[in-house]
Amino acid sequence: MKPPKKEELLKLQKEYKTDRRIAEAIGVPKYLVTYWRKKKKIDKHIFPKYSEETIKDLWERLGNDEEAGAELSISAAAFYKWRKKYNIKEKPKVLRLAQLEFDLSKSPVNPPQTIAQKILALKVGKREVSVGEIVEVEPDIAMSHDNAGLVIKQFKEIGVEKVWNPNRIVIPLDHRAPAESEKTATAHRSIRLFVKAQGIRNFYDIKEGVCHEIMVDKAHILPGQLAVGTDSHTTSYGCIGAISTGIGATEMAGVWATGKIWLKVPDSIKIVLKGKLPLGVYAKDVILYIIKELTSEGANYKSIEFYGEPVSFMSVSERFTLCNLSMEMGAKFAIVPFDKITKKFLSKRTKKSFQPIWADENAIYEKKYEFDISKLEPQIACPHSLDNVKPVSAVKGIKIDQVVLGSCTNGRLDDLEIAARILKGRKVHSEVRMLVIPCSKTVYLEALKKGIIRTFLEADCVVLNPGCGPCLGAHEGILAAGEKCLATTNRNFKGRMGSPESEVYLASPATAAATAIKGEIADPRDFLRRIWRSR
Amino acid sequence: MIEKIRGRVWKLRDNIDTDVIYPGKYLPIIDAPEMAKHALEGLDKGFPGKIKKGDILLAGNNFGCGSSREQAATSLKYAGISCIIAKSFSRIFFRNAINQGLALVESKEAYDLIKEGQEITVDYKSGEIIFNSQKLSFPPLPDFVMGILEDGGLIEHVKKKIKTERLN
Repeated sequence: MKPPKKEELLKLQKEYKTDRRIAEAIGVPKYLVTYWRKKKKIDKHIFPKYSEETIKDLWERLGNDEEAGAELSISAAAFYKWRKKYNIKEKPKVLRLAQLEFDLSKSPVNPPQTIAQKILALKVGKREVSVGEIVEVEPDIAMSHDNAGLVIKQFKEIGVEKVWNPNRIVIPLDHRAPAESEKTATAHRSIRLFVKAQGIRNFYDIKEGVCHEIMVDKAHILPGQLAVGTDSHTTSYGCIGAISTGIGATEMAGVWATGKIWLKVPDSIKIVLKGKLPLGVYAKDVILYIIKELTSEGANYKSIEFYGEPVSFMSVSERFTLCNLSMEMGAKFAIVPFDKITKKFLSKRTKKSFQPIWADENAIYEKKYEFDISKLEPQIACPHSLDNVKPVSAVKGIKIDQVVLGSCTNGRLDDLEIAARILKGRKVHSEVRMLVIPCSKTVYLEALKKGIIRTFLEADCVVLNPGCGPCLGAHEGILAAGEKCLATTNRNFKGRMGSPESEVYLASPATAAATAIKGEIADPRDFLRRIWRSR
Repeated sequence: MIEKIRGRVWKLRDNIDTDVIYPGKYLPIIDAPEMAKHALEGLDKGFPGKIKKGDILLAGNNFGCGSSREQAATSLKYAGISCIIAKSFSRIFFRNAINQGLALVESKEAYDLIKEGQEITVDYKSGEIIFNSQKLSFPPLPDFVMGILEDGGLIEHVKKKIKTERLN
């Protein structure tokens, strides 16, 4: 690429502010931009990133470096630096209600309620709803994937002409994408015709990726909202502070026809995590461990709320994994309450307004659990149930034929990144097939840009198109009788990925990468420690 | 109106999941009688052939856990299963079965008292399971849910609702 002229570079700097952002925008490495800039004797920041008015306004309005910084997607320290630069030192003269020292949630009018209760109450326009009460509500958004074909069939059976609200229906095709059979091709075709006829704009054909990832990444669901979806892992949207749950195709046909669904107000479970995540241990390991402790039906019909320091440090992607797999304990909803990480995540994705909902301080939980994760080992869910979880040390050495990295549970950029870090400069064992499935086009593109896909290919992985792939035994990596697979997916039921005589083990992306290299279930910490030392 | 269901019992374990009831590879099928040919295939390849019309399933805890695929409920219904008794049901399966008009009974005690192959009667009206001249009562389903079941499933229920709304 030809270096830009000085004026061009200044223009770019005016628009993108930093070298890093300029580099990203024009698709060159950052050092190159820095080099050009220095050569042309341009300062690092000739235009202040934020004007005095902006900083002053935010400070007056929020009076808190952390919150004000979050508004600009910068850290509290960075905001403080800006403030110092403009010599804004005094506390704001007018404080908002929330900054005063009294707590509105303690007002005696409403009994304290959980997040599920509060959102459902809002939906029915009441101040409160009680556990066990049946409410009829209108969901904010209704998601269906390939099974929209069956929903359409049932919808036509009901005999209503138009769907209740085409703007509130989202349909991504992901489970069998591209169509693996004539039956699926027929279903896909009927869906394409239907969305056109009904004016459903939020239709994502096979090119886009896994439905749940799209819902969150494209901000179809927002904090404080209610979603239903014809997929059990719809619980995932709790990662941004929404309540969401899976339903069947016929039930969805009812929603499409009437815009209403009945829900029982669930009991809530509070899960508090303590400690720090050790090296080589991830959200996946944490949630597998929790499933083991609570069992496969430990949260049946319940709404789970996650709290604790480790959760507050987790990215939305990691929270996604927690909420996604909570379904495997039977959970109706699983929620990580809205915070500054959620806010930052959404600020990059949407301009829509929303109202986050938090639980009241004295809300009543049916059960409370506390887990210290500071000594946790990588965990493996062994065949054929999710609560058959063992630490990696107990199952190390089991020979594996196929490794799958992907799915709505663990197919995001951070998942691919950690696996690539372990695979870099190494090869997948000659007797192992390793399949890598980025969960969306966006993730795929990012991974390409970062060179992660190259790492996978050089390590002899097979990279597949975004979608659900073999997770549910649909296509692209079905198992034969007698074969064993270690996957980062979400279910290890008998026959899930093919033959009922095959076995599926579930683990984190790091464990998956380590296992692929060794050809047998392996501890990722052995590899990570080596990488750590070689730094 | 569902009153009495009589049938032969098949006993199943705890945590019968949706992949066992209806393996993922058959999901593209949308024709219900076709689905029925694969009901519980994951447990026993020959199972669909062994079911007689009216048979009753008696299972342990967490029946139907896993996927939201309603084909799990539809396939069982069309294979001839008239009722499922379980210690507990997974949430989504419970809704799917009701929406398909498949009768469910939640009973913690029945599992240990009833043997496989036994002929039993489920009396919804009195809320009792009757076997060997013994009676075991079970808690009734909420009226709201019973209404859907009695209409023969959600489709008919919604049709009826829309019709009455139009009349009013």
